Amino acid sequence: MRMKKLVRMNVNGTWVEAYVSSKQSLLEFIREDLNLTGTKKGCGTGDCGSCVVLIDGHARTTCNLPTTKADGREVITIEGLAQRQRLHPIQEAFVEAGAIQCGYCTPGMVLRAKDLLEHNNKPGEDEIKEAISGHICRCTGYVKIIEAILLASKKMLKS
Amino acid sequence: MTKIGSRVPLIDAVEKITGRLRFGSDFKLPGMLYGKVLRSPFPHARILSVNTRGAKRLPGVKAVVTGWDYDLPIYSVSGEKNPDERLLAREKVRYIGDEVAIVAAVDEDTAKEALKRIVVEYEEIPAVFDPEEAMKEGSALIHENAKQNIARIIRIRHGDIGKAFGESDASVEEVFRTPLVHQAYLEPHSGVAQWDLQGRVTLWIPTQSPILARMTYANALGITPDKIRIIQLPMGGAFGGKLEYKIHPLCALLARETNTPVKMTNTREEEFMASLPRVPMVIKMKMGCKRDGALLAKQAEIIADNGAYMNYGPGILLSATTRHDNLYRLKNIHTDSYLVYTNKVPTGCFRGFGCPQSFFAFESIIDSLANEINMDPADFRLRNASQTGDTTPHHWYLGSCGLSEAISKTIEKADWSNKRKELPRRRSTDRAYGIGLACCLHVSGNRTFLPFFDGASAYVRINEEGRVIVSTGEPDLGQGSRTTFALIASNELGIPIEWVSVAFVDTDLSPHGLGTFGDRATTLAGNAVKNAAIDARNQLFEAVSRKLGIDPSDLIIENGIILSRKDQNLFMEFGEVAKIISYEKAGATVLGHGEFIPQNVSMVNPETKTGNISCAYPFVAQVAEVEVNLKSGEVKVLSITAAHDLGKTINPLAAEGQVHGAIAQGIGFALTEELIVKEGKITNPNFKNYRVPRAKDIPSIHVIFVESNDPNGPYGAKGLAEPALTPIAPAIANAIYHAVGIRLTSLPMTPRKIKDSLRKK
Repeated sequence: MRMKKLVRMNVNGTWVEAYVSSKQSLLEFIREDLNLTGTKKGCGTGDCGSCVVLIDGHARTTCNLPTTKADGREVITIEGLAQRQRLHPIQEAFVEAGAIQCGYCTPGMVLRAKDLLEHNNKPGEDEIKEAISGHICRCTGYVKIIEAILLASKKMLKS
Repeated sequence: MTKIGSRVPLIDAVEKITGRLRFGSDFKLPGMLYGKVLRSPFPHARILSVNTRGAKRLPGVKAVVTGWDYDLPIYSVSGEKNPDERLLAREKVRYIGDEVAIVAAVDEDTAKEALKRIVVEYEEIPAVFDPEEAMKEGSALIHENAKQNIARIIRIRHGDIGKAFGESDASVEEVFRTPLVHQAYLEPHSGVAQWDLQGRVTLWIPTQSPILARMTYANALGITPDKIRIIQLPMGGAFGGKLEYKIHPLCALLARETNTPVKMTNTREEEFMASLPRVPMVIKMKMGCKRDGALLAKQAEIIADNGAYMNYGPGILLSATTRHDNLYRLKNIHTDSYLVYTNKVPTGCFRGFGCPQSFFAFESIIDSLANEINMDPADFRLRNASQTGDTTPHHWYLGSCGLSEAISKTIEKADWSNKRKELPRRRSTDRAYGIGLACCLHVSGNRTFLPFFDGASAYVRINEEGRVIVSTGEPDLGQGSRTTFALIASNELGIPIEWVSVAFVDTDLSPHGLGTFGDRATTLAGNAVKNAAIDARNQLFEAVSRKLGIDPSDLIIENGIILSRKDQNLFMEFGEVAKIISYEKAGATVLGHGEFIPQNVSMVNPETKTGNISCAYPFVAQVAEVEVNLKSGEVKVLSITAAHDLGKTINPLAAEGQVHGAIAQGIGFALTEELIVKEGKITNPNFKNYRVPRAKDIPSIHVIFVESNDPNGPYGAKGLAEPALTPIAPAIANAIYHAVGIRLTSLPMTPRKIKDSLRKK
């Protein structure tokens, strides 16, 4: 029997409590235990960004983060971004700009963009490229993702 | 209504952006088990014994299956007559990663633990990793029936090559090498299988072709195809890598053994070591031309490194052997191609189907030839470019050809003529600049390797509320083909695209379509959807005609209203008509059938390989501008200008995305991507060391669409996604040549290779 530890965290506005093994990744906890499958697994080594969520507002890969490290923290997954059936401006921008193809990298990219725009509301193209450099998108060549983040920045400045 | 040519976001964009779309790897069934594969640690070894007792005793393990537990047939992919693999190895293993045993357990950790407790006794035998070595007499034999490890030979003879080289004023010969590269779709392979009590298995899988998968998996399992139902799930990228794949039928084996649903998902490491990356090739090519630029002759030898099993190797090799010959008016052609087994990961389809490899050689040589005769490489290409109405030596009929226009537009936009002169002058002590051009052509559906049939079919169902469901056999790979089909239906039915949904493929319900590959979805299935929508529209018109006493030919349909052309006061609403028809038929809905069978398209002649293999051929011209760091050897791509003859742009927003993504993959192929294999072992099976392009690696990209309106395409549309990748590597190589005068012949063009070449110069 592996040792289990009690963790408590706020996920998308709801407090959850669970006994988890020290080995379990936060990604597995989110996907398997909470059934929030919007957070994706692309590599398991923290190199592709598909599993990024916001932890206390900061974008973080979760495939290489033990669930126990999220104890007491606020976690936002892609499912928690749209408020009352309304898309977040970043989500709107991704749709409008055609920044989505297969959609597998999209949740991580959107949350990374959220982190970026919270800290820098008018990023330049190079700053965006730098911010998403930990994320792989194999479909879009990143072009429309960068356009979408620029568009999102404009939308958020307006509102 | 949403018209052809509108900039339409994907119809499933909101599901994707909210994380609500359930991909293959998200799919679960209650009570399901998890499967894992025990893979060979040796590149070539006899299996002396397999002991599964320890694994079976582990609590939570429900089944352990080896190649000896069932009489599994030898099979290959659909359409291949010479099968060469089994789902699980028996007498021997042929590469590091070969499937030896499978385990089903209550969770993944238990399944992984069980793998460690299977004891396999191997006897290592000599292995061969280099295809040129493998072809030599006396090399280790990988498959008993493939002498000198040659799986297939293709010989092409057109014209008189000796005479043509004799008449040539200039000729260039080089040997090119392309590496083992992976599709690197972001979602690893996954699948869930469950059997019913009638002995029928349902597979929920992300796949490019449910129908081909059903045929192949039936052969692999030794059952008939009707015993398999495939329900396609959304997939996180494919790029050719999600055609038939072993873990799906392995999942079915475990589900049958345990009488419980089983899920299997690859790790990223398994993806790199044991899925189906692009076929590496060694291409020796010589070409000759006249002083005035007339291209006269091509002689080539291609050795394709198939890896341990054949898969789609023969089709890929044929494409690599013949396709580029159709780009220019070239008559004297002599090519010998060999598909060769090695003790490495089996290879398969990846965007371009052999063309990124062969065009790297071909378009590099074209560039060198132009330089030999002091002709501008763009003028040289324009001088020889194929034209609309041409029939090529391979018997391809070019019903539309926008190559010359694509070259002219891309060089104009890229400021080619100025930059050819000006960039070399910009050279400093540590930086040099250059600009290069490369072109290619492709198909819109490839008839060569699937004997069954060609074309596609579709249903357009209008329910009693006047909402529309389109079905085809061509899955959306993430590129947005569902949106294309919805747009076509919307355009033909005169309704907003929001009224149209497109079903996922289910072999019990969908048309029996061949799937999405070979750039066939838009052209073939798009035509089928168009025809099905017209059929459905005619049924609506018949009903309105009966109700209002108007001749059906006088009816039009706009913004959801069916109205008389002559009297605007005579009209009925789309939904109202659909309801009337449905109620009159006791609940049956309007069902439009559409098929598209391309005319004058054939399989190739088995001897000469000639035949018009596709109904429409897209053309591409791309220009790359680069900066070469003379100290470090690093290449920075500064810009790409890409002109694409796609026939007709159905949805510019999605079309641009296809080009951008293909260019990024082309840059990876050109500069950074390579699976490093040492003694058969892949040493970089992770994204840290297998370097796909990141956002910072992508230059500014200018996309130009050339609309040549192919007579066979829906609204004139041809393929787009595959050829958009192909010219990038040679365009960059040609730009490097322009910058520093070195001809790089081996991909990826790493700083080390460039530094070495600069030193030798």
